[in-house]
Amino acid sequence: MMWALSDTWQVVLRDVRSRIRMPVFIFMNLFQPVLWLLLFTQIFKSLSGSVAGEGISYLDFFAPGVIVMTVLFGSAFAGMSTLMDMDSGVLSKMVATPVNRVSIITGRVLANVLVGLVQALIVFVVAAIMGVRVATGMPGVLLVLLLVALLGTGFAAFSNGLALLFKRTETVMATTNLLTMPLMFMSSMMMPSQALPDWLNTVRQFNPVDYAVVGVRNLVLYGYVWTDLWKSLLVLGAFAVVMVVFGTLMFGTRAE
Amino acid sequence: MSVIEAKALTKIYPGDIKAVDTIDFHVNAGEIFAFLGPNGAGKTTTIKMLNTLLMPTSGTATVAGFDVAKNSAEVRRRVGYAAQDVGIDEHATGRENLSLYGHFYRLDGRTIKARVKDLFELVDLAGYEDKMVSTYSGGMRKRLDLAMGLIHEPQVIFLDEPTTGLDPQTRAHLWEYINNLARSMGVAIFLTTHYMEEADRLADRIAIIDLGKIVSLGTSGELKKSIGGDVVTLTPPVERDEELREFIKRTEAVLAGQPFVAEMKPSDGALAVYVNDGSSAVPDMMQILSGQGIDVKTISISRPSLDDVFLKYTGRTIRTQEGTRTNFAQLRRQANRRRNQ
Ligand SMILES: Nc1ncnc2c1ncn2[C@@H]1O[C@H](COP(=O)(O)OP(=O)(O)OP(=O)(O)O)[C@@H](O)[C@H]1O
Ligand SMILES: [Mg+2]
Repeated sequence: MMWALSDTWQVVLRDVRSRIRMPVFIFMNLFQPVLWLLLFTQIFKSLSGSVAGEGISYLDFFAPGVIVMTVLFGSAFAGMSTLMDMDSGVLSKMVATPVNRVSIITGRVLANVLVGLVQALIVFVVAAIMGVRVATGMPGVLLVLLLVALLGTGFAAFSNGLALLFKRTETVMATTNLLTMPLMFMSSMMMPSQALPDWLNTVRQFNPVDYAVVGVRNLVLYGYVWTDLWKSLLVLGAFAVVMVVFGTLMFGTRAE
Repeated sequence: MSVIEAKALTKIYPGDIKAVDTIDFHVNAGEIFAFLGPNGAGKTTTIKMLNTLLMPTSGTATVAGFDVAKNSAEVRRRVGYAAQDVGIDEHATGRENLSLYGHFYRLDGRTIKARVKDLFELVDLAGYEDKMVSTYSGGMRKRLDLAMGLIHEPQVIFLDEPTTGLDPQTRAHLWEYINNLARSMGVAIFLTTHYMEEADRLADRIAIIDLGKIVSLGTSGELKKSIGGDVVTLTPPVERDEELREFIKRTEAVLAGQPFVAEMKPSDGALAVYVNDGSSAVPDMMQILSGQGIDVKTISISRPSLDDVFLKYTGRTIRTQEGTRTNFAQLRRQANRRRNQ
């Protein structure tokens, strides 16, 4: 157990260190969300006030979605680094040591979440500069980070599981692209639930991204909506656990 | 005392691919043992079973006294591994790479620091500890890779094609390190190679592996002796393949049954004739061939090399089996595809 923690920590260090050495990628990941934030709030400006209620601009409405999106993009491709380790032979060298195997994946997921949280904070700051205020203040921001950390854990673990399942960059890339876009659009990220067709409102109940969006938006726009918040925390927590189990299983059986 | 003991070791991949087929061998403590074989012979698969990355389909192996299937954790603690593809993190420094493995092998910080220093000296990389690996040359990477397999002072180190892709000079250098390792640190070395010369120069004992089976095993002297006498290579003055085939067919027919001929094998554009005594056999051979009107462009007599040993046991020259770069890539892609089905 001790070793598992120390191994995880070593993997986190390695991962974070190599990312810091290539800050370009951290900013590239941020570029899209920030661009959307700037662009969408211009395009849909006319919807302000009518979308999410009196006095709420489209920017206020959309910013929580962009925070979720940032973490989603950052973690949904987490398996790519694992694939790179696989192709370069680093992974098979690692698993030939007495290292705790689970740590290789938990460390990677953790590193991803950490970087994702930093990115989410940056988006937060950009939104704040544009005029978004958080209804729940600092404690709310921490809860927002918790929600997106759970979402990021789930997707990073899922992506790592996929990487070990398919073992091919192209396949993992295609699958991830195929999933992330629909997951974003089949949620209330762009439009409030009242504006969505019934079938979409049914579908989004099975979409972890939506739980994150709803949770974060409540905290930013309205305050503590406890029933929704509990539901979001529970669903996202379960999602994270299931995906970590999936990832570790794949890793335990298919890493060589 | 043997550090590796394999008994009827077998690996069958899904799709009924018999990569390793009931092989038996042992490796002594401190010995350099080479697996010599062409692409796809089963060399990597054997290593991966011995270092616990792959479960054997059947048979058993003990490494450093522990069963690889039942006691993999103990085996891992005692073996080092330098894979066929150098498994180094490009985006980290040499020291970071090495230290990470020190942690994985449960060494404490002080020991790691000391070993990093010693190992960088051992493989002649002192001064490059804090440079990014992406700035290392291929030979430097191979050396770092070697060092990474040694940080925990293992009893056995597995080197999968340690010199493939290196220029002759770097290769000779690496041979020196490997030799030193075995002699000065008493580490047993299990290495695989396509290169006859490498096995010949480095290994105490050599196993020739082809299509998953060990076809011959012994010291390089023993293997060469098993061919007996000399090799006479007859090259015909022909260019086209059918002419060559015709030449080989006729010559084999004519020489078959001659008392001085032990065996004949077609080899790259020529026919290799194994005889007991080359200098006395050649005049007889010339007379018989010219009597039958068979033209020969060149005749050479040589002591048998491992190439000849390989040819004798597998019926192929290893050189024609050695892939080019594209060939490797293709093989790997095929293996990948198979794996994904
Ligand atoms: N994961 C796998 N699934 C199915 N077949 C495999 C797998 N790995 C290897 N093989 C097949 O098993 C055989 C032996 O492969 P192996 O990699 O052990 O050969 P090798 O001697 O190391 O070759 P090379 O010199 O090219 O490295 C080959 O036919 C190869 O295609
Ligand atoms: Mg190989």
